[in-house]
Amino acid sequence: MRASRHLHHVYGWLLLTPAAILLLSFTHYPTVATIWQSFFSTGTALRPSSFVGLDNYRFMLEDEIFWKVVGNNLLFAAGTIPASIALALLMAVWVNGRLPGRALVRMAYFTPTVLPMIAVANIWLFFYTPEIGLLDQILRAFDLPTRNWLGDPDTVLWCIVVLAVWKEAGFFMIFYLAALQALPPELEEAARLEGASRAYYFRRVVFPLLMPTTLFVLVNAVINSFKLVDQLFILTKGGPDNASSLLLYYIYEVAFSFFDDSYAATLTVVLLAALALISLGQFLFLDRRIHYR
Amino acid sequence: MTAIEVEGVTKLWGTTRAVDDVSFRVPEGSFVVLLGPSGCGKSTTLRILAGLEEPTAGRVLIGGRDMTRAAPAERRISMVFQSYALFPHLDVRENILFGLRVRRVAREERERRLARVAELVGLAELLDRKPAQLSGGQRQRVALARAIVSEHPICLMDEPLSNLDAKLRQEMRLELRALQRRLAMTVVYVTHDQAEAMSMADRIILMRAGRIEQEGDPDALYGQPATLFAASFIGTPPMNLLALEDGPEGAVVAGSGVTVLEGPGRGRILGIRPEHVRITEEGGVPAELLATDYLGADTVISARIGDQRLGIRVPGRFRATPGTAIRLAWSPEHLHLFDARSGRRESGPAGLRGTDPAPVRIAATASKGGGS
Repeated sequence: MRASRHLHHVYGWLLLTPAAILLLSFTHYPTVATIWQSFFSTGTALRPSSFVGLDNYRFMLEDEIFWKVVGNNLLFAAGTIPASIALALLMAVWVNGRLPGRALVRMAYFTPTVLPMIAVANIWLFFYTPEIGLLDQILRAFDLPTRNWLGDPDTVLWCIVVLAVWKEAGFFMIFYLAALQALPPELEEAARLEGASRAYYFRRVVFPLLMPTTLFVLVNAVINSFKLVDQLFILTKGGPDNASSLLLYYIYEVAFSFFDDSYAATLTVVLLAALALISLGQFLFLDRRIHYR
Repeated sequence: MTAIEVEGVTKLWGTTRAVDDVSFRVPEGSFVVLLGPSGCGKSTTLRILAGLEEPTAGRVLIGGRDMTRAAPAERRISMVFQSYALFPHLDVRENILFGLRVRRVAREERERRLARVAELVGLAELLDRKPAQLSGGQRQRVALARAIVSEHPICLMDEPLSNLDAKLRQEMRLELRALQRRLAMTVVYVTHDQAEAMSMADRIILMRAGRIEQEGDPDALYGQPATLFAASFIGTPPMNLLALEDGPEGAVVAGSGVTVLEGPGRGRILGIRPEHVRITEEGGVPAELLATDYLGADTVISARIGDQRLGIRVPGRFRATPGTAIRLAWSPEHLHLFDARSGRRESGPAGLRGTDPAPVRIAATASKGGGS
């Protein structure tokens, strides 16, 4: 009896081990190591790494590029999050209705999600390319002035925003669509019998009932707005003059172009802390206003 | 006055006839039950009345006006759904007031109606709760309150009690009926539960496979079932239906020598309610007892005449071992005769024979006979 209980424990641990190893070695260890490293200087052949306390953080606060990149990232978040969520909801309501070729439309909306970001960026490169790109060709057809979309610091960030919205909205739509389909149809019928218009029903019933989904999507959108930087490698490399650089891309540059591991670690810690705070805030603040079934 | 008039309504789903040429009238202030097994088209009929489905053919008149294509809101009806269809994020108060807010009823009027309705259905204490915090019966009351507060003259109910437990269902049955009378509402009520229909309805419309099988008051459906289906659907246990055969002196119960009526037997079916069969000591018809099912107030006995099974309802407790030979008796006025092929009731009860004209004492331990 005791032996079998003992064996039970062994089985339990054996089953947990693969996941635990992966989690420890690829999530927990790197996190701790990053935090640790952010308190040390980057070692060189002449000067080995040494403890510098908060020096890296002090340097960061004086780094103009850091602030530029943070500003960019906030604009990027402000541009992508509301737009992609609104678009996702709109598309979900649209493809949830009776619609000829509904499956096809749903698939079309979901395609951007399936495509790898690198491929997507390459497609959009054809749109944005000066003179021969699709955008400029359309402008020229209407005799409008063309421009170098990705080469102009005024437009480059918004070009990236549009691409990100296009890429993300389809993904979020799937969640909204699932939530919409979970709504019992009698609710709409009951509302119709009372004379509620579709808009009124949406505002008073559907939207509040979708709030749990909205929160989930919002958290994801916020994280993605700090996480999605693949397109920069193809389209702009953060340029011109860091006008399109985002925090994570800057971290990549610092770590793998400038080989300043410690400063990259410092920036990473800041990014992680910001994301954790935002998610926590969202859950704590919004959770109380949300009705969960 | 006729509140609702349905004229030749048909609804096709593809090629299936969900509702097939159905016509009926609902008098103002009456409680009409659409009764039938699942898939008989009763719910579809109700949804057509509500305007949630459009009929393929036919007309729906509400208050004398053609409403066949009118939007649900124009029909001035309210509806109670089987699932209650409460808005889960709104509290009881807002659920009840939903329609009044849509129609922009003034604040004082809203509050006045809410107070009255909450009192009426006993929700006054629960107005701030969310539906998830209510029991099934309370949710049911909210759905009811939402229907009543609209003050629409007609209320449609789609199996509103089927999600409640048996005891609560019985209470709600009485309450619902009392409420309907008090408010003089016209109610069209859909159910598959014949007991519910019998106890509540002024008028029952029995449906089967999209058609009306029989329409009438509960007495008529119970006492004069027009078809074999009606006979077997209404009553617990349902009417005994015995196949007949030709015999030397007239029709006999199949597989026995018992003559039950004059004339041919083949192709006819004899019906008799379980409570109209008596157990006698002498005379009557020989039968074999198969089982007894004690229900408290009475006992339902399964027996066999020839190769036909039947149920007998006797008051009190009846003890007997399976296989016992018993004798059964009935009076001719309790017999029903159906044509086996068409399933229709045969018009005249002429030639029906009782099995024993004399009143008899009851065998075994039953305290009283099942009527005489």
